[in-house]
This record gives sequence, C-alpha cells and structure tokens, in this order.
Amino acid sequence: MDSTVRYFESIWIEPPMGRILYRLGYKKTKTKLDEHQREQIEKLIWEGVSHCHPKGAFLILPITDRTKDSVTIGKHLVESKSLTELLKNSEAVALMASTIGDEIIHAIEDEIKKENSVKAVIFDSTASQMADKTVAWVMDFINKSLQKEAKALTSMRFSPGYGDLDLKYQKIFFEELKLEKLGISLTETYMMTPEKSVTAICGVENRVRREDE
Amino acid sequence: MDKAAFYKLLKEKIVILDGATGTELQKRGMPKGACPEQWILENPHAILETQKAYKEAGADIVYAPTFGANRWKLKSFGLEDKVEEINIKLVQLSREAVGSDTLIAGNLSPTGEFIKPFGERAFEEAVDIYKEQVQALVDGGVDLFVIETMIDIQETRAALLAVKESTDLPVMVSMTFGEDEKTLTGTDPITAAITLEALGADAIGCNCSTGPKDMIPILKKIKSVAGVPVFVKPNAGLPVMKDGELFYDLGAEEFANFADEFVEIGINLIGGCCGTTPEYISFLKEKTKAITPKLWRESKICALTSVRKTVVMGENMPLVIVGERINPTGKKMLQQELLEGKLSEVRRLALEQQQKGASILDVNVGMPGIDEKKVMVDVVENLSTLSELPLCIDSSSSDVIEAALRIYPGRALINSISGEEKKLKKLLPIAAKYGAMFIALPLDDKEVPSTAEGRIKIIEKILEEAKKVGYGTQDMVVDGLVMTVSSDQKASLETLKVIEYAAKQLKTSSILGLSNISFGLPERQWLNSAFLMMAMAKGLNMAIANPSSENLMELKMAGDVLIGRDANCKNYIDYFAQSKPTSQSTNKQPKEENTSTKIYEAVLKGEKEDIEAYIQQALDEGMKPFSIVDELLIPAINKVGELYDKKEYFLPQLILSAEAMKTGFNYLEPLLLKEDSGRKKTKIIIATVKGDIHDIGKNIVGLMLKNYGFEVIDLGKDVPKEEILKQVKEQNVPIVGLSALMTTTMGEMGVVIDAAKKEGLKTKFMVGGAVVTKEFANEIGANGYAEDAIEAVRLAQTLEQ
Ligand code: B12
Repeated sequence: MDSTVRYFESIWIEPPMGRILYRLGYKKTKTKLDEHQREQIEKLIWEGVSHCHPKGAFLILPITDRTKDSVTIGKHLVESKSLTELLKNSEAVALMASTIGDEIIHAIEDEIKKENSVKAVIFDSTASQMADKTVAWVMDFINKSLQKEAKALTSMRFSPGYGDLDLKYQKIFFEELKLEKLGISLTETYMMTPEKSVTAICGVENRVRREDE
Repeated sequence: MDKAAFYKLLKEKIVILDGATGTELQKRGMPKGACPEQWILENPHAILETQKAYKEAGADIVYAPTFGANRWKLKSFGLEDKVEEINIKLVQLSREAVGSDTLIAGNLSPTGEFIKPFGERAFEEAVDIYKEQVQALVDGGVDLFVIETMIDIQETRAALLAVKESTDLPVMVSMTFGEDEKTLTGTDPITAAITLEALGADAIGCNCSTGPKDMIPILKKIKSVAGVPVFVKPNAGLPVMKDGELFYDLGAEEFANFADEFVEIGINLIGGCCGTTPEYISFLKEKTKAITPKLWRESKICALTSVRKTVVMGENMPLVIVGERINPTGKKMLQQELLEGKLSEVRRLALEQQQKGASILDVNVGMPGIDEKKVMVDVVENLSTLSELPLCIDSSSSDVIEAALRIYPGRALINSISGEEKKLKKLLPIAAKYGAMFIALPLDDKEVPSTAEGRIKIIEKILEEAKKVGYGTQDMVVDGLVMTVSSDQKASLETLKVIEYAAKQLKTSSILGLSNISFGLPERQWLNSAFLMMAMAKGLNMAIANPSSENLMELKMAGDVLIGRDANCKNYIDYFAQSKPTSQSTNKQPKEENTSTKIYEAVLKGEKEDIEAYIQQALDEGMKPFSIVDELLIPAINKVGELYDKKEYFLPQLILSAEAMKTGFNYLEPLLLKEDSGRKKTKIIIATVKGDIHDIGKNIVGLMLKNYGFEVIDLGKDVPKEEILKQVKEQNVPIVGLSALMTTTMGEMGVVIDAAKKEGLKTKFMVGGAVVTKEFANEIGANGYAEDAIEAVRLAQTLEQ
C-alpha cells in the first residue's frame, strides 16, 4: 500500500439498529417495547440515517522509532504505554478518520428547537453509531486491501482521548490526513466539528494464519 | 479480433489465460517499489522470457503488462506524460514474445483513485483516463481487452465504457471478491455480473484475492445470471509471509486440479493470478485440452441492480413495488427543497420507502424552475450510496435519462419509452448503450389507444425497434396504461388484457401505475386494491405505488401467496410476524377504563395526544386540579422513573412519558395558579461550558427538568463563564447546571464555580457529562453530580429545598 491519503467521499453504511437502541439504554432482556413503539422508533432512525453522509480517510505511516513507552509514527513522537503495547508487532500504522457531516447536527438542533425531543435523541444516537461504524468500515476496507500482502490490522483500534493516549494527539490526524478535506476541524480544546466524527489508529501486522486455513 | 471470432474460439476449447506477471518479473530482478512498466521497458528480456514461457505452457491469451499503465498510476513515478509511448511499447514487446498466433489482451486495472459517488474523482475523469490508455493499446495492436482486479463497480464501469466508446474489440471484465464474496466497495458477484453484462462486457470473471477453492461459490453465482462466457484467474492459494518473503500455499498440480470443477460449472477461460507460474499454466492446459467447453446462455435475465443489490423480476417472483414518492408533483416541501438544491427530503423519502418494502425507487425530479439534468444526476449519485435499492429513472427528457444512466453504478429501469418517433429514434439507442431495462408505454405520436388491441400494436412496434438495438424481451417491462374507470368503465378491462398479453404471449414483465384507476371516485383504496388483485391474477409483476400504504402492502403479500409467488408462504409469514400491532391494538380497545386510569396510563405509555381530553373529562367529573397532579401525574411519572431505573423503559420512552406529563401539567397550570399561587417554578440555568460543543446531554437534562416543572433557562453550548454569571445575577437564579463531555473541557466547570464564589453568589451548582465523576464534582466545589437526566431531576429537587 502506498503512502498517500485516501478519501472516501460517500460510504454506504447500514444503520446498526441494535447498537443505536443500546446507546439509548435499550436492554434486550429487560426493556419492554411494544411493536408500535418499535416501529415508530425504527422509522425515526431511518429518518436520521437520511441526514448522515458517511465519509472517511486513511493513511499508512511507518513506525520510525520506539521505546518502552513511546512510538514515533512518521515524524510524530507519541507517548502512550497502551498504544506502544498495541503496536508491539507492527512496523507501520493506519491513521483513520470518519465523519457523517453536519446535516444531522443541524437536524438535531432543529428538533430540539421544535421540542421534538424523542426525535432529537434518536437522531443523536443514530448519528453517533453511524460515525462509529464508518470508521469500522474504513478499518475493514484497509484490512481487506492488506490481505494481498499477507498483512492485517491489529484487531483493536485506539483513539486519542482513550486511556493514556492524550487528546492532544488529535493534531497528528489533522496534519497527516488533512481532515479539512472531509469538512472536519479541531477546536482549541481538541474537539472535532462536526461532532459526530472519529479518529482512530491501528497497527499493521503480518497476518497470522488461522488453524483452519 | 471481433466478438464473433472470440466467441467462436470459446466454443471450440477451454481457453487458457496466462499466469502471474509481477512475481515472474521479480524473479528476474525487478526491485520492490519500482515502476513495473518502466522497468520492463528498460529490461525487456524479463517480459520476453515470461510471456514466451506462458505461451509455451499453453496460454491462448496473454495479458500485455499494462496493468498500471494509466495516467494516474504512472503519475506517482513522474511518467504521466508517457502513457501513449509506454502502452504501445509494452504491447509491442508482448507481440515480440508470443508472435501472432497467440492473442494479446490490453490490460486495464484500477487507477488507484476512488471514483464518485464513492470517491472524490469525477466519473468522466476516470473514463478519460482509461480512454487514453485504451487508444494507445489499440494503436499498439492488442487483439482484445481485459479489465481486471477491479475493486469498485463504478471504476469498472468507467473502464468498460472507455473501451466500448473507443473500439469494437472484445472486452473481458473481471472483479476481485474477498472472503465475504464482495468487492472492496461492497458489490456481490451476481450484482456485478448483471451490471457489467448490461453495459456490454463480452465475458465476466473474477481474479485475485483468493485461491481456486474459494472462487467456486462466486463463479457459481456469476454463472447463475450471466448471459456471456465466464472466466477465472485465481491466486495460487493464500498468501503466507515466511522470512519476510511472500509466497502462496497451493502447488501447481493441486491448483490445476480445480480445472475439472471450473469446467463443470461452465467456465470458458481459465488462467492464474498472484503466485502462479508457467508451470501452473501448463498443468492447466494438460487438464483441459481434451475437454469440450459448455456453452453459455445467450440471453440476459430480467433484473435490476444497485451497487449492492439485485432485484429479479419474473413469473414466479413476488410482485415488485416501485416506490413512487420521489416525485415533486403535488409535494410542496419536496418542490421547495429541490428549488433550493437540497436533497434531504429526497433522501428521507428514499429510506422510508425502502423500509416500507419498496424494491425499486422511482426517481422523478421534473418541475419548472430547476435544471432537471443536474438535479437528477445529484439525486442519483446521492441515492446510490444511501439506499440499496435499484433506481427507476423517470423523466420525459432523453438527455436527463442519458446523464443519469451514465453515472448510475448499476442497471437501472427507464420510465419510459413510448411508441413516439423521437423516443424510438433517440432514447432507445441510449437505453441500449447503457443496457438499462425500460418500461414500454403503449402510446405514440397519433394516439393513446383506448383498446388493448391498439396498445398491443404499439408495444409490438417498440419491441421490434428495441430488438434492432440489441434488446430482448426480458429487457422490456410493459406498461398496461391505467385510465380512470370513472370516465370509461371499460378502461380497467382493456388494461387487464394488455397485462395478460404481456405475461402470456410476450413473456415480459408488466407494470401499472395503480392509483390512476380510481381518480375522481370516493374511497379510492378499494378500487386500487381490487384492481391490483385482478392484474396480479393476469400476471402483473410490478406496480408503481406508495409502499407506505399498509393496505396495499398487505394485499400484495396475500396476492403473492395466492398466485404461487411466495414459496412456503415465507414472505407472508415474515411480514405479518413483524407487524403484529394491528391485531394487538384491536385486542386492546374494548377494555373500559375509568378516567383516572386513563390519565395515569397516558403518562405511563407516553401518549400525549389524548391526555388533555382525559384531564378535561376528569375535571368535568369533579376532580380537583391538585388531585390530578398529586394523585395521577406525579405517581405515574414516578412509576416511569422506576421502570427506567429497572431498564424496563429506555430513554425514548422516558422522554415520551415526561412529555405527556408536561402536556397534562400545562393544561392544568392556569387552574393550579388560581387554586394556589404559592406553587412557583424554580429557575435553573443550564449550559455546556466554554470550549465544549456537545450539548445533547445537557439538552436532555434541560428537557426533563422542564417536564418536572422547573423553569429552565438554556444558555446553549460553548458558553463563557461571564455569560453564565451575568444571567445568574440578572435573573436571580438559585441553581445552575453545567455540562462538559471531555477531559479537556470539564476543567472549565471549576473555573465557573470559582468565579461565582469569588463574586459571593449563593447559587448552587450541579454538574454532569460523560467524563465527570462524583469525585471530580466534589473537587471543584460543586453542590452535586448526577449521572443521567432522571438523577439530575432528583438532584435539582433536593437542591431546591
Ligand atoms: C457516543 C460517543 C461518541 C460518539 C458521539 C460523540 C458526540 N460528541 O456526540 C462518537 C462516536 C462520534 C464519539 C467520538 C469521540 N469520542 Co466519544 N463517546 C461517546 C460515548 C460512548 C457516549 C457519549 C454520548 O453521546 N452519550 C449520550 C448523551 C446523551 O449523554 P451525555 O452527554 O453524557 O449526557 C448525560 C449525562 O452525562 C448527564 N449530563 C450531561 N450533562 C449534564 C449536566 C448536568 C448539570 C447534569 C446534572 C447531568 C448531565 O445526563 C445526560 C443525559 O443522561 C462516551 C462515553 C460515555 N459512556 O459517556 C464517549 C466519550 C465521550 N468519547 C470519548 C472520546 C475520546 C471520543 C473521541 C475523542 C475519540 C476520537 N479520537 O475520535 C471522539 C471525539 C469526537 C469529537 N467531536 O471531538 C471519551 C472522552 C474521554 C476524554 N478524554 O475526554 C469518552 C468519555 C469515552 C471514554 N470512556 O473514554 N464519541
């Protein structure tokens, strides 16, 4: 794989119904929802999906140096024990990002203004899970492309803001992936706008063959 | 070579293709990371040896080594201005290697860029990139083309169109499918085969990615729909890394053993991809040389595709509903949006119809004041990555239809082609070029025949013209032409005759725009439904309709069962297993409840529509406003809170109930004030702090507080401390709720609280948000922390006292 940034302008993502409901507090064995309510809610989820524009980007960068608790990715030194551990078998990493755009954000704001709160929270949960699934899609895409080289991504992905990987490392993603091309920007407090955006990092490893293959 | 000669060859023998080129070149010294095309030209012996070896091994066709010789790929080596020269020279080298008795295929492969709608490059740009390479390959003297290792259907379409628009040489098209039997961008083999065959591929296949074994199910799927020969080039098994070197795990003989199965499935051309060598090819040749190949079916199937779905129409297939709602006629909101260039209503309608059971989406954007072509292209691009349903392009303009077909990444249906001269002369050839299916509309320049005979005549004329441009009966869908029965009582019978003719005589699909039948009459759904059933009995297999009409969808399900289009009644059972509500809600009704129970239940169930009426009824029955609040509304919402705590309710239910409660409370409020002016609402300010833009959590908290009778002043998100304190002072607010989502922003909450203390304000602060904890709240001197909105209400109620 080459080292230019790849952009996906429009990705088809099937809404993860189960996860969207789960995020709203739905528990399969406990929550009691009659069919009529379920139908209403699913309808709103689909309406939410119609406001989502999933986009993504990725770049493969080499790991140029490492210590016990830091790795250098390209020219960027990253201090994080857990990331260093994740990347212990990797010589390169995939930097990834996704967003579903700002149309849904405006739709949520509109619904809040109109006091359609149920619609607003369902849109919100739909949007969050669509953004999350979009970055998973990018990961899957890279994985399948790497198969030819007998390589694969680490099954775990990591993101700035999780564990000991400081949010300040968001900057690396913005610098390398030029995320403004997807319409994403970063605030001084390292929040991304549109809100429903995700960055993530995986290691590129040699593919371990499964027993049954 | 022309297409006839190509097919003649395939009928004589199993045609052997070459094996891997890249690895052979590496064996002969090509370094990793080099530009293969350039290296070959500098080291011609390598390709000469390789291809000579393939020829000797028995290959009937070798691929010119032009895999990456397109402008975009060559650009990364600074060779973008040498496209013509490189391609011509490479073909000449191949010719030198194999002579004139072995065929040479010009090889087109992915550009490395992603094409719209999926990627950022314009479709037309990609077509041009390929055209440049195609021209050079033709000039170099290739005998045919192969487009291979494609990962995206749209890019494949661009390459195929580029070949078709430049030359008549045969073209084979092969995509790469992964372990999930999909291309990287999500197209399955059946969908790919139908789409590519419709666009003019002369053979369809798959290559790379997996070994021969994993390709068998994929090939079977392609064979099940293909009306052209099918070919295969598997890898030599799966890639393995050993000591930093990549190799494949299947030996030459093992590999060739799969040839029997390939032939059995009906594959006509076999070669090898990554990891295969001349040895593999010679085993293949040995295995297949005495075999007479199977022939392929030479007609297309009646099917439409999107990027990731195929819809097959046929006698025994369920009635296909073409969702009619993306059409601005009579829809104010949609008109307004289209005028403003917005598509959110179109997108909403698409997914709603998909969810309701439409199988195809009709797309019509014709209205005054817009550039129909531009809007149509926009809509088609949008829908092809949003919805999985194939599209029906509906326009009276041939230009609009052509623009849409060109960029649509699937096989579309055209609505429609009539017997009018200009449609037959202009639109029909366009439709044929893109291989779209079309609806034949039985009217012409002279008349709209009122009799079936008149209509059938026109249909026959359309079919005759269609056959001249390469269509068969399976590509056509006959429109029965529905006229209103109120103005001519025979109209329905004539239409039914046309449907019967299409189904029984022509053996084509047929379609109706149902609702016209009942125009001008009351209770239209009965006429529409009855007519649908009659038409289905005559063989109708498609209907343009509104899938949101439950009545219609239920009838369709029943109709499919009764005329044998729903094996084991499966669809019927599934459909009604899902939508139990009708039977349930009717069960519920008879139960008589007293007014108090109704109010309590309305809050519990979150039914705010009826609660005001119930409350009025209770008041009429003499209940006191206070009692309604204290004995019904509050206990009900407390019960809801309990259910929520036990997770029997989830957030949307909680909110619905809270809203019902608020509706009831608001209705009673004027009376309550009269009874007791002592009950005053407590004010609460809520805000997401400066630097933070996440406000859904805060909004939910605000909403619940409001529903529980607080007066909420919502300052929004990213609010500076000065603003918060100013409002506290001006409005004399006793409680402030602060929200923050992330560790980088939650510190600001402490800053606000400190500033308030410094100014000596007595306001109490409560805090919350994803990363906020009780400990953190204590640390910054907040008066309370709550995990979620219900807790926030309870907290506010304590702080209030
Ligand atoms: C869904 C989610 C997402 C979604 C949507 C995010 C969004 N901002 O809308 C997506 C997938 C896009 C996402 C992305 C990211 N996320 Co996130 N995400 C979450 C998750 C799982 C839920 C957040 C949520 O929307 N909840 C639903 C809403 C309704 O709840 P809420 O806002 O928390 O509000 C409730 C309560 O907190 C409380 N409350 C809220 N305000 C107030 C105020 C008062 C006064 C009171 C009393 C109560 C109260 O009541 C509310 C209603 O119940 C949280 C973890 C979690 N369980 O909270 C992580 C979390 C917030 N994310 C996290 C991270 C790191 C990220 C990313 C930075 C990852 C990355 N590198 O891409 C990005 C950042 C996005 C951006 N815009 O910058 C971290 C933040 C950690 C940190 N260091 O700050 C969290 C905490 C996960 C974790 N455990 O580490 N994320």
